[in-house]
Amino acid sequence: MVMSICSYNLTIHYIPNIVYAVFHYKIEKNQNIKDNEIKHFDIPSDQSRNVVMPNPDFLYSTIFYDLSEKDLNINANMPDSTYWSVSFYKPNTINWYVKNDREFDTNKLDLTLTLNDSKSEDFITSPVKKGFMIIRILVEKKDKESINYYKSLQKNIILK
Amino acid sequence: MKNKIVISVILSIIIGGYTAISNINSSTQNNEFSIKNGNWKVNPNMDLKDSYQRAYISRIGVFALDDKEALYFLSSKDSDGNPLTSDFDYQISGTPPKGRYWSYTLYGEDYFLVKNDANIYTINKENLTKDKPILVSSSKKDINWLPSGNETKFHITLRVYNPDESVYKNLESLELPIIKKIEK
Repeated sequence: MVMSICSYNLTIHYIPNIVYAVFHYKIEKNQNIKDNEIKHFDIPSDQSRNVVMPNPDFLYSTIFYDLSEKDLNINANMPDSTYWSVSFYKPNTINWYVKNDREFDTNKLDLTLTLNDSKSEDFITSPVKKGFMIIRILVEKKDKESINYYKSLQKNIILK
Repeated sequence: MKNKIVISVILSIIIGGYTAISNINSSTQNNEFSIKNGNWKVNPNMDLKDSYQRAYISRIGVFALDDKEALYFLSSKDSDGNPLTSDFDYQISGTPPKGRYWSYTLYGEDYFLVKNDANIYTINKENLTKDKPILVSSSKKDINWLPSGNETKFHITLRVYNPDESVYKNLESLELPIIKKIEK
């Protein structure tokens, strides 16, 4: 009885971690990317099967980050005419940071993700060594010119 | 005797783990923590210190944003309470909640985007032809068409990004759009 209860509680506690681990494994295997590498995804379609309920109005860029050895700098010229946001998640899928375009002072993104405490706005202190980042760019109009424009901006999101 | 104890422990662990997963699956199917409003359900900010709620949200909305950033209203039923199916056509009428951006997206029974020749998956604030209804149908429509493909059952998600405070603070009493079955 005691073992069942312990097992129950532990399973509940670690379900988010398992969900994340499975997602991490699928992306690593299917997209051939490693930690601290950025992956730019095309606008979701019926072929997109990595995560349920993808938003077909967004371009997504993701990083599985690992700060064990060094900080991570994310650099980009983001669009100035649409919603975009940067969000970070722990390995139990909990969102610990989100900021959108209206909350940044500039569309020139120059953020450093670190484990160290910092008061600078350009430094973000991660509560965990490893986690996940999503950058979302809203593409409301689906004409070719708009899509190509936002894709070119997406591609200029780089890690230093 | 020793073997019996080991088997007993292993069985206890399996039973505990299986019960946990079943309970979470049942909660997600029943939308246990959802706020219900008409034919829509929405998940409010969860208490993430509670491990059960954390497990629940990881299953139904992994990598979702908090309610000041985005709200996700989900409907699997029409205004009569019947499951949404591509056997019928539907009209979505009413004004989406106030926010910076909104969209309706149709997902199949498995919560992935539905295959259709037109590659249309969403009607949003930008591509909506105003003063014309939104039509959900497996047959092509000329204006504001949201294809339902060949789905036996499907879901519609209404997303609102940067919703007004009056929206996320009044989820239960908000006036939300209606999904009504119409003649094919």
